[in-house]
Amino acid sequence: MTTVSMTVNGKAVSADVEDRTLLVDYIREHLRLTGTHVGCDTSQCGACVVHVDGKAMKACTMLAVTADGADVTTIEGVANGDLHPMQKAFNDNHGLQCGFCTPGMIMSGIDMVNRYKADGKTLDETAIRHELEGNICRCTGYHNIVKSIQQAAGEM
Amino acid sequence: MYHAPTELNDALRTLSEEGGQVVAGGTDVYPSAKQGKMPTHFLDLTRISGLGGISHHQDSIRIGATATWTDVIKSDLPAAFDALKQAAREVGSVQIQNSGTIAGNLCNASPAADGVPPLLALDASVELTSMTRGSRRCPLSEFITGVRQTTLLPDELLTAILVPPPPVEMGSAFEKLGSRRYLVISISMTAAMVSCDDTGKIEQARIAIGACSPVALRMPLLEASLIGQTPKDVTIDPDLFASLTPIDDVRGSTEFRLDVVVEQCARAVKRAANL
Repeated sequence: MTTVSMTVNGKAVSADVEDRTLLVDYIREHLRLTGTHVGCDTSQCGACVVHVDGKAMKACTMLAVTADGADVTTIEGVANGDLHPMQKAFNDNHGLQCGFCTPGMIMSGIDMVNRYKADGKTLDETAIRHELEGNICRCTGYHNIVKSIQQAAGEM
Repeated sequence: MYHAPTELNDALRTLSEEGGQVVAGGTDVYPSAKQGKMPTHFLDLTRISGLGGISHHQDSIRIGATATWTDVIKSDLPAAFDALKQAAREVGSVQIQNSGTIAGNLCNASPAADGVPPLLALDASVELTSMTRGSRRCPLSEFITGVRQTTLLPDELLTAILVPPPPVEMGSAFEKLGSRRYLVISISMTAAMVSCDDTGKIEQARIAIGACSPVALRMPLLEASLIGQTPKDVTIDPDLFASLTPIDDVRGSTEFRLDVVVEQCARAVKRAANL
Protein backbone atom coordinates (compact mmCIF):
# COMPACT_ATOMS: atom_id res chain seq x y z
CA MET A 1 0.00 0.00 0.00
CA THR A 2 1.11 3.54 -0.76
CA THR A 3 -0.36 6.85 0.28
CA VAL A 4 -1.30 8.86 -2.77
CA SER A 5 -2.24 12.51 -2.70
CA MET A 6 -3.53 14.49 -5.62
CA THR A 7 -5.91 17.25 -6.53
CA VAL A 8 -9.10 16.02 -8.16
CA ASN A 9 -11.48 18.62 -9.56
CA GLY A 10 -9.81 21.28 -7.41
CA LYS A 11 -10.06 19.33 -4.17
CA ALA A 12 -7.07 17.80 -2.37
CA VAL A 13 -7.61 14.06 -1.87
CA SER A 14 -5.44 11.44 -0.23
CA ALA A 15 -5.78 7.70 0.33
CA ASP A 16 -3.85 4.51 0.96
CA VAL A 17 -4.14 2.39 -2.17
CA GLU A 18 -2.70 -0.88 -3.34
CA ASP A 19 0.18 -0.02 -5.67
CA ARG A 20 -1.38 -1.78 -8.64
CA THR A 21 -4.63 0.23 -8.41
CA LEU A 22 -5.41 1.85 -11.74
CA LEU A 23 -6.15 5.56 -11.67
CA VAL A 24 -9.63 4.90 -13.06
CA ASP A 25 -10.40 2.46 -10.23
CA TYR A 26 -9.16 4.95 -7.67
CA ILE A 27 -11.41 7.64 -9.17
CA ARG A 28 -14.46 5.39 -9.39
CA GLU A 29 -14.15 3.12 -6.36
CA HIS A 30 -12.34 5.28 -3.80
CA LEU A 31 -13.54 8.75 -4.74
CA ARG A 32 -16.92 7.48 -5.98
CA LEU A 33 -16.70 9.71 -9.04
CA THR A 34 -18.39 7.30 -11.40
CA GLY A 35 -18.71 9.66 -14.37
CA THR A 36 -15.37 8.37 -15.66
CA HIS A 37 -16.23 5.08 -17.35
CA VAL A 38 -14.35 1.86 -18.05
CA GLY A 39 -15.15 0.55 -21.49
CA CYS A 40 -12.38 -1.72 -22.69
CA ASP A 41 -9.74 -1.64 -19.93
CA THR A 42 -7.09 -1.94 -22.66
CA SER A 43 -6.59 1.75 -23.53
CA GLN A 44 -8.51 1.63 -26.78
CA CYS A 45 -12.03 3.00 -26.25
CA GLY A 46 -11.40 6.29 -24.44
CA ALA A 47 -14.41 6.14 -22.08
CA CYS A 48 -11.97 6.70 -19.19
CA VAL A 49 -10.27 9.88 -20.47
CA VAL A 50 -9.42 12.38 -17.73
CA HIS A 51 -7.03 15.33 -17.70
CA VAL A 52 -3.79 14.82 -15.76
CA ASP A 53 -1.77 18.01 -15.35
CA GLY A 54 -3.64 19.46 -18.30
CA LYS A 55 -3.10 16.53 -20.67
CA ALA A 56 -5.71 14.03 -21.83
CA MET A 57 -4.86 10.60 -20.47
CA LYS A 58 -6.54 7.23 -20.40
CA ALA A 59 -7.13 6.54 -16.71
CA CYS A 60 -7.18 2.78 -17.32
CA THR A 61 -3.57 2.97 -18.51
CA MET A 62 -2.10 4.69 -15.52
CA LEU A 63 -1.68 3.72 -11.88
CA ALA A 64 -3.07 5.90 -9.13
CA VAL A 65 0.43 6.11 -7.61
CA THR A 66 1.76 7.45 -10.91
CA ALA A 67 -0.62 10.38 -10.55
CA ASP A 68 0.67 11.16 -7.04
CA GLY A 69 0.99 14.93 -6.78
CA ALA A 70 -0.89 15.53 -10.03
CA ASP A 71 -3.81 17.80 -10.81
CA VAL A 72 -6.63 15.64 -12.17
CA THR A 73 -9.87 16.78 -13.76
CA THR A 74 -12.74 14.36 -14.40
CA ILE A 75 -16.07 14.90 -16.13
CA GLU A 76 -17.53 15.92 -12.74
CA GLY A 77 -15.10 18.82 -12.58
CA VAL A 78 -15.67 20.57 -15.91
CA ALA A 79 -18.95 22.40 -15.13
CA ASN A 80 -18.59 25.66 -13.29
CA GLY A 81 -22.10 26.27 -11.97
CA ASP A 82 -23.48 26.18 -15.50
CA LEU A 83 -22.69 23.40 -17.91
CA HIS A 84 -19.31 23.63 -19.64
CA PRO A 85 -19.70 24.83 -23.28
CA MET A 86 -18.68 21.33 -24.40
CA GLN A 87 -21.40 19.71 -22.25
CA LYS A 88 -23.96 22.22 -23.52
CA ALA A 89 -22.93 21.53 -27.12
CA PHE A 90 -23.43 17.77 -26.64
CA ASN A 91 -26.87 18.63 -25.25
CA ASP A 92 -27.75 20.98 -28.10
CA ASN A 93 -26.63 18.58 -30.83
CA HIS A 94 -27.73 15.33 -29.21
CA GLY A 95 -24.10 14.25 -29.28
CA LEU A 96 -24.87 10.85 -27.79
CA GLN A 97 -26.99 7.78 -28.19
CA CYS A 98 -26.52 5.46 -25.20
CA GLY A 99 -24.20 7.96 -23.49
CA PHE A 100 -21.58 5.51 -22.26
CA CYS A 101 -18.71 7.05 -24.24
CA THR A 102 -19.88 10.63 -23.58
CA PRO A 103 -17.69 11.50 -20.55
CA GLY A 104 -14.58 10.47 -22.48
CA MET A 105 -15.76 12.24 -25.63
CA ILE A 106 -16.30 15.46 -23.68
CA MET A 107 -12.92 15.25 -21.93
CA SER A 108 -11.16 14.60 -25.26
CA GLY A 109 -13.22 17.35 -26.90
CA ILE A 110 -12.20 19.93 -24.30
CA ASP A 111 -8.56 18.85 -24.59
CA MET A 112 -8.45 19.15 -28.38
CA VAL A 113 -10.15 22.56 -28.42
CA ASN A 114 -7.72 23.84 -25.78
CA ARG A 115 -4.68 22.49 -27.66
CA TYR A 116 -5.74 23.88 -31.01
CA LYS A 117 -6.48 27.26 -29.45
CA ALA A 118 -3.10 27.32 -27.71
CA ASP A 119 -1.36 26.48 -31.01
CA GLY A 120 -3.45 29.04 -32.93
CA LYS A 121 -4.77 26.31 -35.26
CA THR A 122 -8.30 25.89 -36.60
CA LEU A 123 -10.14 22.81 -35.39
CA ASP A 124 -12.20 21.90 -38.45
CA GLU A 125 -14.29 18.80 -39.00
CA THR A 126 -11.41 16.79 -40.47
CA ALA A 127 -9.18 17.67 -37.53
CA ILE A 128 -11.91 16.71 -35.03
CA ARG A 129 -12.41 13.33 -36.70
CA HIS A 130 -8.64 12.74 -36.63
CA GLU A 131 -8.34 13.86 -33.01
CA LEU A 132 -11.17 11.54 -31.95
CA GLU A 133 -9.16 8.48 -32.95
CA GLY A 134 -8.79 7.46 -29.30
CA ASN A 135 -12.50 7.59 -28.48
CA ILE A 136 -14.85 4.92 -29.72
CA CYS A 137 -18.65 5.28 -29.82
CA ARG A 138 -20.15 1.80 -29.84
CA CYS A 139 -23.44 3.26 -31.13
CA THR A 140 -21.44 4.89 -33.98
CA GLY A 141 -23.08 8.24 -33.27
CA TYR A 142 -20.05 10.14 -34.51
CA HIS A 143 -21.78 12.75 -36.70
CA ASN A 144 -23.46 14.52 -33.80
CA ILE A 145 -20.40 14.15 -31.59
CA VAL A 146 -18.33 15.93 -34.26
CA LYS A 147 -21.02 18.63 -34.59
CA SER A 148 -21.04 19.10 -30.81
CA ILE A 149 -17.27 19.59 -30.63
CA GLN A 150 -17.44 21.97 -33.61
CA GLN A 151 -20.06 24.09 -31.82
CA ALA A 152 -18.08 24.13 -28.56
CA ALA A 153 -14.89 25.04 -30.42
CA GLY A 154 -16.62 28.23 -31.51
CA GLU A 155 -17.74 29.06 -27.99
CA MET A 156 -14.78 28.11 -25.81
CA MET B 1 5.98 -2.18 -4.38
CA TYR B 2 6.03 0.97 -6.45
CA HIS B 3 9.34 2.80 -6.74
CA ALA B 4 9.37 6.21 -8.39
CA PRO B 5 12.89 7.51 -7.75
CA THR B 6 13.93 11.01 -8.77
CA GLU B 7 17.61 10.11 -9.33
CA LEU B 8 18.96 7.70 -11.95
CA ASN B 9 21.41 6.15 -9.46
CA ASP B 10 18.56 5.23 -7.12
CA ALA B 11 16.67 3.65 -10.00
CA LEU B 12 19.73 1.62 -11.08
CA ARG B 13 20.32 0.46 -7.51
CA THR B 14 16.69 -0.57 -7.05
CA LEU B 15 16.78 -2.41 -10.36
CA SER B 16 19.93 -4.35 -9.52
CA GLU B 17 18.85 -5.17 -5.96
CA GLU B 18 15.12 -5.76 -6.31
CA GLY B 19 14.35 -5.95 -10.03
CA GLY B 20 10.75 -5.18 -10.91
CA GLN B 21 8.76 -4.13 -13.94
CA VAL B 22 10.33 -1.03 -15.44
CA VAL B 23 7.62 1.36 -16.53
CA ALA B 24 7.42 4.84 -18.05
CA GLY B 25 4.16 5.55 -19.93
CA GLY B 26 2.86 2.07 -19.13
CA THR B 27 0.90 1.92 -22.38
CA ASP B 28 2.18 -1.57 -23.15
CA VAL B 29 2.62 -2.79 -19.57
CA TYR B 30 -0.85 -2.19 -18.11
CA PRO B 31 -3.07 -3.27 -21.01
CA SER B 32 -1.04 -6.44 -21.58
CA ALA B 33 -1.18 -7.51 -17.92
CA LYS B 34 -3.34 -10.62 -17.77
CA GLN B 35 -6.39 -10.47 -15.53
CA GLY B 36 -5.18 -10.82 -11.93
CA LYS B 37 -1.54 -11.02 -13.03
CA MET B 38 -0.53 -7.37 -12.79
CA PRO B 39 3.17 -7.17 -11.83
CA THR B 40 3.66 -6.53 -8.12
CA HIS B 41 6.94 -4.58 -8.33
CA PHE B 42 7.14 -1.44 -10.45
CA LEU B 43 10.06 0.86 -11.15
CA ASP B 44 8.63 4.10 -12.56
CA LEU B 45 11.23 6.17 -14.45
CA THR B 46 9.09 9.21 -15.17
CA ARG B 47 10.15 11.24 -12.14
CA ILE B 48 13.90 10.93 -12.79
CA SER B 49 15.33 14.32 -13.63
CA GLY B 50 17.34 14.49 -16.83
CA LEU B 51 15.86 11.33 -18.34
CA GLY B 52 13.19 13.07 -20.40
CA GLY B 53 13.10 15.44 -23.31
CA ILE B 54 14.95 15.66 -26.60
CA SER B 55 18.26 17.51 -26.73
CA HIS B 56 20.72 18.44 -29.45
CA HIS B 57 24.42 17.64 -28.98
CA GLN B 58 27.43 17.89 -31.27
CA ASP B 59 27.58 14.19 -32.06
CA SER B 60 23.95 13.21 -31.61
CA ILE B 61 20.33 14.09 -31.06
CA ARG B 62 19.38 12.51 -27.77
CA ILE B 63 15.86 11.23 -27.12
CA GLY B 64 15.61 10.63 -23.36
CA ALA B 65 14.15 7.43 -21.97
CA THR B 66 10.98 9.13 -20.76
CA ALA B 67 10.41 11.30 -23.85
CA THR B 68 6.87 10.67 -25.10
CA TRP B 69 5.51 10.44 -28.64
CA THR B 70 3.96 13.86 -28.05
CA ASP B 71 7.43 15.23 -27.15
CA VAL B 72 8.73 13.97 -30.51
CA ILE B 73 5.79 15.47 -32.43
CA LYS B 74 6.31 18.85 -30.76
CA SER B 75 10.11 18.97 -31.09
CA ASP B 76 11.93 21.03 -33.65
CA LEU B 77 13.88 18.33 -35.50
CA PRO B 78 15.59 17.98 -38.94
CA ALA B 79 13.51 16.77 -41.92
CA ALA B 80 15.06 13.31 -41.57
CA PHE B 81 12.95 12.94 -38.40
CA ASP B 82 9.66 13.52 -40.27
CA ALA B 83 9.20 9.76 -40.60
CA LEU B 84 9.54 9.34 -36.82
CA LYS B 85 7.08 12.19 -36.27
CA GLN B 86 4.60 10.64 -38.68
CA ALA B 87 4.96 7.31 -36.88
CA ALA B 88 4.41 9.10 -33.55
CA ARG B 89 1.16 10.61 -34.83
CA GLU B 90 -0.12 7.16 -35.75
CA VAL B 91 0.75 5.41 -32.49
CA GLY B 92 -2.39 4.63 -30.48
CA SER B 93 -4.24 7.90 -30.04
CA VAL B 94 -3.50 11.35 -28.65
CA GLN B 95 -3.94 10.10 -25.07
CA ILE B 96 -1.51 7.25 -25.68
CA GLN B 97 0.97 9.58 -27.39
CA ASN B 98 0.85 11.75 -24.26
CA SER B 99 2.03 8.93 -22.01
CA GLY B 100 3.80 6.32 -24.16
CA THR B 101 7.55 6.65 -24.74
CA ILE B 102 9.79 5.89 -27.72
CA ALA B 103 12.22 4.06 -25.44
CA GLY B 104 9.41 1.84 -24.14
CA ASN B 105 8.42 1.05 -27.72
CA LEU B 106 11.98 -0.22 -28.36
CA CYS B 107 12.21 -2.23 -25.11
CA ASN B 108 8.81 -3.83 -25.76
CA ALA B 109 10.37 -5.08 -29.01
CA SER B 110 7.20 -5.89 -30.88
CA PRO B 111 7.83 -6.77 -34.56
CA ALA B 112 5.14 -4.17 -35.30
CA ALA B 113 6.66 -1.40 -33.15
CA ASP B 114 6.03 1.80 -35.11
CA GLY B 115 9.09 3.59 -33.75
CA VAL B 116 11.63 1.07 -35.00
CA PRO B 117 11.72 1.53 -38.83
CA PRO B 118 12.18 5.34 -38.66
CA LEU B 119 14.94 4.97 -36.04
CA LEU B 120 16.67 2.21 -38.07
CA ALA B 121 16.68 4.57 -41.06
CA LEU B 122 18.20 7.24 -38.80
CA ASP B 123 21.03 4.83 -37.79
CA ALA B 124 20.00 5.23 -34.15
CA SER B 125 21.79 3.65 -31.20
CA VAL B 126 20.58 3.05 -27.68
CA GLU B 127 22.39 3.94 -24.46
CA LEU B 128 22.14 1.16 -21.88
CA THR B 129 23.13 1.97 -18.31
CA SER B 130 23.75 -0.22 -15.27
CA MET B 131 24.89 0.62 -11.76
CA THR B 132 28.08 -1.43 -11.84
CA ARG B 133 29.22 -1.13 -15.45
CA GLY B 134 28.13 2.38 -16.39
CA SER B 135 26.85 3.06 -19.90
CA ARG B 136 27.32 1.20 -23.15
CA ARG B 137 26.09 2.03 -26.63
CA CYS B 138 24.44 -0.47 -28.90
CA PRO B 139 23.20 0.10 -32.47
CA LEU B 140 19.42 -0.27 -32.59
CA SER B 141 19.86 -2.88 -35.35
CA GLU B 142 21.65 -5.09 -32.80
CA PHE B 143 19.56 -4.16 -29.74
CA ILE B 144 16.35 -5.87 -30.82
CA THR B 145 17.18 -9.51 -31.48
CA GLY B 146 13.79 -11.18 -31.92
CA VAL B 147 10.10 -11.08 -31.12
CA ARG B 148 10.00 -9.25 -27.77
CA GLN B 149 13.71 -9.93 -27.27
CA THR B 150 16.51 -7.41 -26.75
CA THR B 151 20.08 -7.39 -25.52
CA LEU B 152 19.01 -5.37 -22.46
CA LEU B 153 20.46 -7.06 -19.36
CA PRO B 154 18.36 -7.45 -16.20
CA ASP B 155 20.27 -4.72 -14.33
CA GLU B 156 20.26 -2.26 -17.25
CA LEU B 157 17.98 0.60 -18.18
CA LEU B 158 17.67 2.06 -21.65
CA THR B 159 18.54 5.64 -20.72
CA ALA B 160 18.51 7.30 -24.15
CA ILE B 161 18.15 6.86 -27.89
CA LEU B 162 21.02 8.50 -29.75
CA VAL B 163 20.71 9.60 -33.35
CA PRO B 164 23.78 10.82 -35.26
CA PRO B 165 22.99 14.21 -36.87
CA PRO B 166 21.38 13.21 -40.18
CA PRO B 167 22.39 14.84 -43.50
CA VAL B 168 20.38 18.07 -43.67
CA GLU B 169 19.42 17.45 -47.29
CA MET B 170 17.62 14.18 -46.51
CA GLY B 171 13.83 14.16 -46.30
CA SER B 172 11.89 11.27 -44.82
CA ALA B 173 8.45 9.68 -44.73
CA PHE B 174 6.62 6.87 -42.94
CA GLU B 175 3.92 4.66 -44.42
CA LYS B 176 1.78 2.41 -42.25
CA LEU B 177 -0.94 0.03 -43.32
CA GLY B 178 -3.48 -1.25 -40.82
CA SER B 179 -6.94 -2.71 -41.20
CA ARG B 180 -8.27 0.79 -40.56
CA ARG B 181 -6.76 4.23 -40.15
CA TYR B 182 -6.49 4.47 -36.37
CA LEU B 183 -5.70 2.38 -33.29
CA VAL B 184 -4.39 -0.59 -35.19
CA ILE B 185 -1.44 -2.90 -35.14
CA SER B 186 0.51 -2.41 -38.36
CA ILE B 187 0.20 -4.98 -41.13
CA SER B 188 3.33 -3.52 -42.65
CA MET B 189 5.19 -0.24 -42.47
CA THR B 190 8.00 1.47 -44.30
CA ALA B 191 10.28 4.35 -43.35
CA ALA B 192 12.23 6.07 -46.12
CA MET B 193 14.98 8.69 -46.04
CA VAL B 194 15.97 10.18 -49.38
CA SER B 195 18.00 13.02 -50.85
CA CYS B 196 18.32 14.01 -54.51
CA ASP B 197 21.11 15.66 -56.50
CA ASP B 198 20.73 18.82 -58.62
CA THR B 199 19.26 16.84 -61.51
CA GLY B 200 16.56 15.34 -59.28
CA LYS B 201 18.10 11.88 -59.12
CA ILE B 202 18.26 10.00 -55.83
CA GLU B 203 21.70 10.42 -54.28
CA GLN B 204 21.22 8.87 -50.85
CA ALA B 205 18.51 6.43 -49.77
CA ARG B 206 17.69 4.53 -46.62
CA ILE B 207 14.71 2.18 -46.28
CA ALA B 208 13.55 0.22 -43.23
CA ILE B 209 10.55 -2.09 -43.12
CA GLY B 210 8.61 -3.23 -40.05
CA ALA B 211 6.03 -5.92 -39.26
CA CYS B 212 7.32 -8.12 -42.08
CA SER B 213 10.02 -9.99 -40.14
CA PRO B 214 10.62 -10.81 -36.45
CA VAL B 215 12.75 -7.67 -36.22
CA ALA B 216 12.32 -4.63 -38.48
CA LEU B 217 15.05 -4.51 -41.15
CA ARG B 218 17.05 -2.06 -43.23
CA MET B 219 17.00 -2.98 -46.93
CA PRO B 220 20.55 -2.39 -48.25
CA LEU B 221 19.99 -3.95 -51.70
CA LEU B 222 16.85 -1.95 -52.24
CA GLU B 223 18.61 1.21 -51.03
CA ALA B 224 21.41 0.66 -53.56
CA SER B 225 18.87 0.10 -56.36
CA LEU B 226 17.29 3.49 -55.68
CA ILE B 227 20.46 5.49 -56.29
CA GLY B 228 20.23 7.32 -59.61
CA GLN B 229 16.46 6.81 -59.96
CA THR B 230 14.01 9.69 -60.20
CA PRO B 231 11.57 9.59 -57.24
CA LYS B 232 8.56 10.45 -59.42
CA ASP B 233 9.06 7.34 -61.60
CA VAL B 234 10.71 5.14 -58.98
CA THR B 235 10.55 1.41 -59.66
CA ILE B 236 10.81 -1.01 -56.78
CA ASP B 237 12.09 -4.48 -57.62
CA PRO B 238 10.07 -7.06 -55.62
CA ASP B 239 13.04 -9.46 -55.76
CA LEU B 240 14.96 -7.19 -53.39
CA PHE B 241 12.70 -8.07 -50.45
CA ALA B 242 14.08 -11.58 -49.95
CA SER B 243 15.20 -10.77 -46.38
CA LEU B 244 11.57 -10.29 -45.33
CA THR B 245 9.71 -13.22 -43.81
CA PRO B 246 6.23 -11.90 -43.06
CA ILE B 247 3.86 -14.11 -41.10
CA ASP B 248 0.39 -15.23 -42.15
CA ASP B 249 -2.08 -14.05 -39.55
CA VAL B 250 -5.49 -12.45 -39.04
CA ARG B 251 -4.08 -9.09 -40.08
CA GLY B 252 -2.79 -10.21 -43.45
CA SER B 253 -1.25 -13.08 -45.40
CA THR B 254 2.42 -13.41 -46.30
CA GLU B 255 1.68 -12.69 -49.98
CA PHE B 256 -0.44 -9.66 -49.11
CA ARG B 257 2.27 -8.16 -46.93
CA LEU B 258 4.96 -8.69 -49.57
CA ASP B 259 2.68 -7.09 -52.14
CA VAL B 260 1.95 -4.14 -49.88
CA VAL B 261 5.54 -3.27 -49.01
CA VAL B 262 6.48 -2.79 -52.67
CA GLU B 263 3.82 -0.10 -53.07
CA GLN B 264 4.58 1.29 -49.61
CA CYS B 265 8.25 1.75 -50.54
CA ALA B 266 7.36 3.63 -53.73
CA ARG B 267 4.98 5.92 -51.83
CA ALA B 268 7.43 6.50 -48.98
CA VAL B 269 10.28 7.35 -51.38
CA LYS B 270 8.08 9.85 -53.26
CA ARG B 271 6.89 11.51 -50.06
CA ALA B 272 10.41 11.57 -48.61
CA ALA B 273 11.49 13.41 -51.77
CA ASN B 274 8.66 15.90 -51.18
CA LEU B 275 6.51 14.78 -54.11
